[in-house]
Amino acid sequence: MTRNRIIDVPLAAVAVLVYVSLYLPILLVFLLSFFSMRRGKVNWDSFSLSWYAKLFENDALGEALWNSLLVGSLAVAAAACFATSAAILVRSQPGRHSARLLEYVIFLPFLLPPIITGLSLLIYFREAGVGRGIFTITVGHTLFVSAIIYRIVLTRLNALSRNLVEAALDLGATRMQTFRFIILPNLRMPLLTGGLLAFALSFDETMITLFLSGTDATLPVRLYAMMRVGFTPTINALVTLILGFSILLTVAVALAWRRNAGPAGKTSREGRT
Amino acid sequence: MTGYVPGAIVLWAICILFILVPLSSFLAYGFLPVVDNAIVYEPTFDNFVNIVSNSSYRTTFLRTMLLAFEVSAFNFVLGYATAYFIWRRPPAWRNVLVIALAIPLLMSYIIKIYAMRGVLGTNGLLNSALLALGVADEPVSALLFNLMAVRITLSIVLLPFMVLPICVALERIAPQVLQAAADLGASEIQTFRWVILPLSLPGAIVGAMFTFVLASGDFLAPELVGGIEGFTFGRLVFSQFGLAFNWPLGAALSVLLMVVALVVISIARRLSNPRWQS
Repeated sequence: MTRNRIIDVPLAAVAVLVYVSLYLPILLVFLLSFFSMRRGKVNWDSFSLSWYAKLFENDALGEALWNSLLVGSLAVAAAACFATSAAILVRSQPGRHSARLLEYVIFLPFLLPPIITGLSLLIYFREAGVGRGIFTITVGHTLFVSAIIYRIVLTRLNALSRNLVEAALDLGATRMQTFRFIILPNLRMPLLTGGLLAFALSFDETMITLFLSGTDATLPVRLYAMMRVGFTPTINALVTLILGFSILLTVAVALAWRRNAGPAGKTSREGRT
Repeated sequence: MTGYVPGAIVLWAICILFILVPLSSFLAYGFLPVVDNAIVYEPTFDNFVNIVSNSSYRTTFLRTMLLAFEVSAFNFVLGYATAYFIWRRPPAWRNVLVIALAIPLLMSYIIKIYAMRGVLGTNGLLNSALLALGVADEPVSALLFNLMAVRITLSIVLLPFMVLPICVALERIAPQVLQAAADLGASEIQTFRWVILPLSLPGAIVGAMFTFVLASGDFLAPELVGGIEGFTFGRLVFSQFGLAFNWPLGAALSVLLMVVALVVISIARRLSNPRWQS
């Protein structure tokens, strides 16, 4: 056991470094949205909410926030329908080449670098004569988040006994009835978890959106435009609000996950590999 | 089975219309020349010849690949140590630590990059610390807007992608296996070398490959913290869609990026298959 401790010291040092570097920058932004800095030290007497007040005078930000919420909701709804049907199809014919190919194609927009997903849609919409705006952003986000919902729903479907579906069909239920009364009730939690996770991803998505947004900017795109100009306390305030919202979403996802079947977190981490 | 046919047709139609056709039109675009700022719809290899013969494109490409490799190698070491540390904690601690790693993943990517600017900038935290410790007499401006800033930023932002797959791999090691190693008299180092490391390496490789793909295609971090020196391939592609307005060239350039990504993803898939060890 003594050796244990010796190994743990350098490991702990690295782990502390990792956690500090993940959280310290964010904490700094949070502090700077309330306090000013002087000579490298936070001036604790300078507490002010003035940067937050400034935010509410900015109409472009309100519009960007609305766009983000709209795109997120539409994309999650569309992705939930698409991904759930795909998962049911793949589950119904395991091992088939077509099913595995479908799965691969669904994962493509998620696995390819966002720059490629974004610009392939940009070129496609331009050639098809579709103007950039809410619709194009929504399509991009739908494709991007479908993989997540697909993976979570499929995991649940795989855990579901086939006998359940067969029993329903034997008892004379139509496929629609089986879906409505057997499959769907079992998918409520995975859909909630996946939906929340997908919404959080959509809310933060920047790289694909930069290609697909014309004049309708989402919040991260507006933020990107502001950041290129400089480092201002107003941005700190905005960033803090967005982080607060992201953390709320994370907590919601975590709570939903707990109620979902299976040990915490495992399925989504596999989903990205 | 027949009940699924109409559904399958609709699903495939969506996939073809919104995933496969866009990807192939993007590939096709790479072959179109631009004459007088207008795209000519007669395929040629001009863009690709242009890319291969242009030395500045080549150096940018190689610099970016090196950058992505450095970031994934560095994160491989940091990530493995962190995951191993987490795995050695009691289960209750483990959960907390893993969740603390996952939370930054749900935070806006652009916000994390912006936050790094606050740390690396002239008036930033790192400079203040250096001044306070007496390491530097005046703020070091060399911390931001160069390639090093891009390395640091990408490393930190991509760390969770490295640690989490390793955590999953370590978590999957059956306790009986470790018990067996101990019963057979293996020392702790031997157990690590011959049992734990081989069993968790596939997860680590997946993490490294993922980090590589994300780092090589990124343009936001280099754009926001890289300055002129941190001009990467992703920025080169992005600039073709902004100022330069040469979409076909941008498409041709990113074909290179996509080939790299697909090769790396397929290698990762193969290596992460546990059978490779036997």
